[in-house]
Amino acid sequence: MNPVELLSVSIEAIKTNKLRSVLTALGVIIGVASIILLISISAGLQGFISSQFEKLGANSLFIIPGKLEGSFGGPPRTVNKLTFNIVDRLEREKSSAIVDVSAFIEIAVTARFKNESKVTTLDGVKESYFVYSDMKAEKGRVFNEKEDEVARRVAVLGTTLARDLYKADNPIDKTISISNKTFTVIGVLEPQGNIGGVDIDNLVLIPLNSARKLTGTDQVNSILVRTTSTDTIPVAKEHIDKILKRTLSEDDYTLLSQEQLLSSILQILGVLTAALGGIAAISLLVGGIGISNIMLVSVTERTREIGLRKAVGATNKAILSQFLTESVILSLGGGILGVIVGYLGSLILSNFLETTVPVWAVVLGLGFSTLVGVIFGTFPAIRASRLEPIEALRHE
Amino acid sequence: MKFLIHALNLVKTYGEGESKTVALDNVSMDVGEGEFVAIIGASGSGKSTLMNILGCLDKPTSGKYFFEDKLVSELSADSLAGIRNKKIGFIFQSFNLLARTSALKNVELPLLYGNVTGSDMTKRAVNLLTKVNLSSKLHSKPSQLSGGEQQRVAIARALVNDPSIIFADEPTGNLDSRTSFEIMKLFSQLNSEGRTIVMITHEMDVARFAARIIRIHDGKILEDKKNKPVRAAFEKKKS
Repeated sequence: MNPVELLSVSIEAIKTNKLRSVLTALGVIIGVASIILLISISAGLQGFISSQFEKLGANSLFIIPGKLEGSFGGPPRTVNKLTFNIVDRLEREKSSAIVDVSAFIEIAVTARFKNESKVTTLDGVKESYFVYSDMKAEKGRVFNEKEDEVARRVAVLGTTLARDLYKADNPIDKTISISNKTFTVIGVLEPQGNIGGVDIDNLVLIPLNSARKLTGTDQVNSILVRTTSTDTIPVAKEHIDKILKRTLSEDDYTLLSQEQLLSSILQILGVLTAALGGIAAISLLVGGIGISNIMLVSVTERTREIGLRKAVGATNKAILSQFLTESVILSLGGGILGVIVGYLGSLILSNFLETTVPVWAVVLGLGFSTLVGVIFGTFPAIRASRLEPIEALRHE
Repeated sequence: MKFLIHALNLVKTYGEGESKTVALDNVSMDVGEGEFVAIIGASGSGKSTLMNILGCLDKPTSGKYFFEDKLVSELSADSLAGIRNKKIGFIFQSFNLLARTSALKNVELPLLYGNVTGSDMTKRAVNLLTKVNLSSKLHSKPSQLSGGEQQRVAIARALVNDPSIIFADEPTGNLDSRTSFEIMKLFSQLNSEGRTIVMITHEMDVARFAARIIRIHDGKILEDKKNKPVRAAFEKKKS
């Protein structure tokens, strides 16, 4: 039988039992749809995270207090031993590979203006932060080096925070009360959105030294070291490690490069996707068993047909290919529908989170469903092909 | 006369030991080109077993069966399928049409397993359906056809590969006497056009259309004699 005839004969048989065929394919539809959906969420998340890291700058190193266990082991639990002393030392002894060392202070505060108040995060940063993060003031200006040096009580607000506290008023030159200290608002940032999991639009940014005064401690929350390029990161890392080792033990700090962090997160995401994909694959397996079951029923129902086909000259191979084609059409058809359902699902989900359906996911879905059809269709097809023509013709 | 079928001492047994039954007991027979043979016998006489072996659907337990000078027991399953496809046309008591497809598609069925394609295939099937007076029912499903019409579709299907021989197993078993007569007339016509036909029946009325009647009982041939076919009688009357 030529392929075109084979296809049309198989499709005809499937169409005879439309409802049954759709129900049989349902397992595969659900399996493939969930695989596509999961991959689209994971791929979307990976793209999102990678782009976030790019925004933070690829040629930088983070020093955070405490030891991160393994590749990624949750927040550190030790006492923060990162201090301004260490920052100053790093600054003084920085190698040629290091462009800049900046410390961060991050605390939770209540920001007030008149009767409006809001619990938010305060970041003490150096003026260079605005430059390398590519943040510009939408209204007013950001603070300068001088203001940092003398620890002026000036503040730059995220747009959401500014709107919440000052409503329609222009916040520039108005006061803001932070932990009962009065600051002057000098600028409001352009909308930034979420960067590295932090909602910039809700932040209060003040000069680092002002923050140091405000907290009254010598601790910093993290230190950002920027290098000349991504290539010099290993050299810089070694250099910094040496300096830190002088006063700190190995458990007191963790040196993270962006790439390391990114690869850790993507690795976790990959494991998660594989695990969830495995669960989805189980439903594909169940779908395959459904196909096998229905094909066996179909072979029994059509025993006479098989006998007749053999009597008029069908070889075992011809019968085998007919039934195998039917099961592959069922599962591949289910796979195609599953891809469509999964794609539509990811379109709907894209309203809430970032999703992308990569081409390889579609290929994987269709490939898997074809495989399921072949694997689970083979046994019924072999059974059909081995029927004796006279026995089959005698079958009631 | 060239022998199409040459069977020597065919034996067919089923089962083992005490439950062993002998369906065919030393049957030898020949069928030549252009013959119209009726094999008549009661149910259980072994006539169906004989036809299954002659039709290359089954193999004898012992004995030699030559189809067109080829020893059938030495052929592979695929070669047998090829012979059934190209050389043999089957007509069954219960028609055995595929319920979900049209008359035309049913007739085309054997061609699917040969190497005839597309428009050629349709042309042949339409010609044969026209020959059996069903040109107006090409696209009817079997359920929309009467018993006689269904059997004529089956006859067209048996003829579609232009076979050397036609095997008919109780072709009128499911039909009323009037329709049976029409089907038998069609058989006579086909035979007069040179078709070789081997027909199985338990009715003498049907067997009388054949030119040779083989009587079988308990797996043995009781009688093998020439018959003055009904058709011949008709034609004599007409002239």
